[in-house]
Amino acid sequence: MEWLRFCVVALFLVASLGTAVISVAGVFKFKFILNRMHAAAIIDSFALLLAMIGIAVAYGISFATVKVILILLLIWVASPVSGHLIARLEVTTDKHLAEECEVRD
Amino acid sequence: MKPRSDYELSWWRRLVRFVDGETLADVERRAEELRETNAQNQQMVDKEAEHVFEQEVKEDREDRKRRLEIEHEKEAKALLEKYKNWPKEHGVRIFGRLYAVMAVVLCVAIIATLLVTVSYLPEFGSPDNPNNNEVVEKYNAEGLYDTGATNNVAGMILDYRAFDTLGESHVLFVAAVCVMILLRLELTKDGKPTDKKRAAEENDRLYEPKNDKILQLSAKILVPIIIMYGIYVILNGHLSPGGGFSGGAIIGAGLILYVNAFGFKEATKIMNRKNYAVISVVPLLFYAVAKSYSFFTGANHIESIIPKGTPGAIISSGLILPLNICVGIVVACTMYHFYTLFRKGGM
Repeated sequence: MEWLRFCVVALFLVASLGTAVISVAGVFKFKFILNRMHAAAIIDSFALLLAMIGIAVAYGISFATVKVILILLLIWVASPVSGHLIARLEVTTDKHLAEECEVRD
Repeated sequence: MKPRSDYELSWWRRLVRFVDGETLADVERRAEELRETNAQNQQMVDKEAEHVFEQEVKEDREDRKRRLEIEHEKEAKALLEKYKNWPKEHGVRIFGRLYAVMAVVLCVAIIATLLVTVSYLPEFGSPDNPNNNEVVEKYNAEGLYDTGATNNVAGMILDYRAFDTLGESHVLFVAAVCVMILLRLELTKDGKPTDKKRAAEENDRLYEPKNDKILQLSAKILVPIIIMYGIYVILNGHLSPGGGFSGGAIIGAGLILYVNAFGFKEATKIMNRKNYAVISVVPLLFYAVAKSYSFFTGANHIESIIPKGTPGAIISSGLILPLNICVGIVVACTMYHFYTLFRKGGM
């Protein structure tokens, strides 16, 4: 059973790493802030979820797993809020917003 | 057309007169008279010319003098300009070169000093090194018995070396006070912000999203959890990794999140300058007094009245728990106030 658990953990961690690589590539590829924010948010949501699932599987049912879930919840609450604030600041300050994306009043 | 001045004397004119009927003698006499008047005229003209010439010479001399003076003035001005511009044109270049040279010299000197110092250090990993002494063994073997703290690090920084931690807390406090001296903007006597303060706030937070509903909701959920976690880290400082500095930093972060969500008006109800003074000074004084007592008893081999408690319990290990709380409060206040002062809003 031990090797099966190792395989599952490795699968989840590698998938998380791949998602993170895609996200970083997106951050450098896109030109405008809102697009880049979308790319960057992938790390905060999906890559983190995969990594934390991997760690939770590695620890099994224990206090560490509860801590991992708490970390996940904390970041899932904090990251969209910070993203929302950055986007709002960008929309208020950017003079050429209409060139970057479709703006509806 | 004006005739020439000696026209009357010319042979042609004389001939014309003779033909017109004048006698030869008459003609001669007239010519004589004319010659005399001409000579007189000539003399007068000469004199005038001489006079004019003298004056011209005089004027010329004065003119040349004036021109020379102007030239001198111009030269002086150019010289002054040159001296004024010297620092801009040459001085900066020379200073830049000197700066580069001095920077290299200074760097090389510091590197050389450090290398020489390193060469005097004992060899790495050698068993005769001075760090392989009884202090480490003492901390490892008797730390739990001496301090009552299961976290050896807490035992070290708040018991064996508590004086050092006291100094660190004071450094934080002094830094916060200095920043306050430099950056705090005064209120008027009725407690309203002055124009300068209001302008600074508006200028600093013009585009910042204010009163954001989403942020406020998430802050409502997160801030109590964060502050409770910080308190947990502080209270467990002598049992597990953590302690005053890390827990204080967590509490400070929670307070900063609260300020960001609800604005300075709400936050300064609790964390204003008066409260800051009380909240920071009381723990520092308590720290100093408590540690003075413990040093005094320790130095004089008197039994301390502070019980160690059972190791592993929350209320144990003598002074470490209260001192952790003091340090945590000071660190949290300092972090929060640095943030508010640099945002030009609070205090």
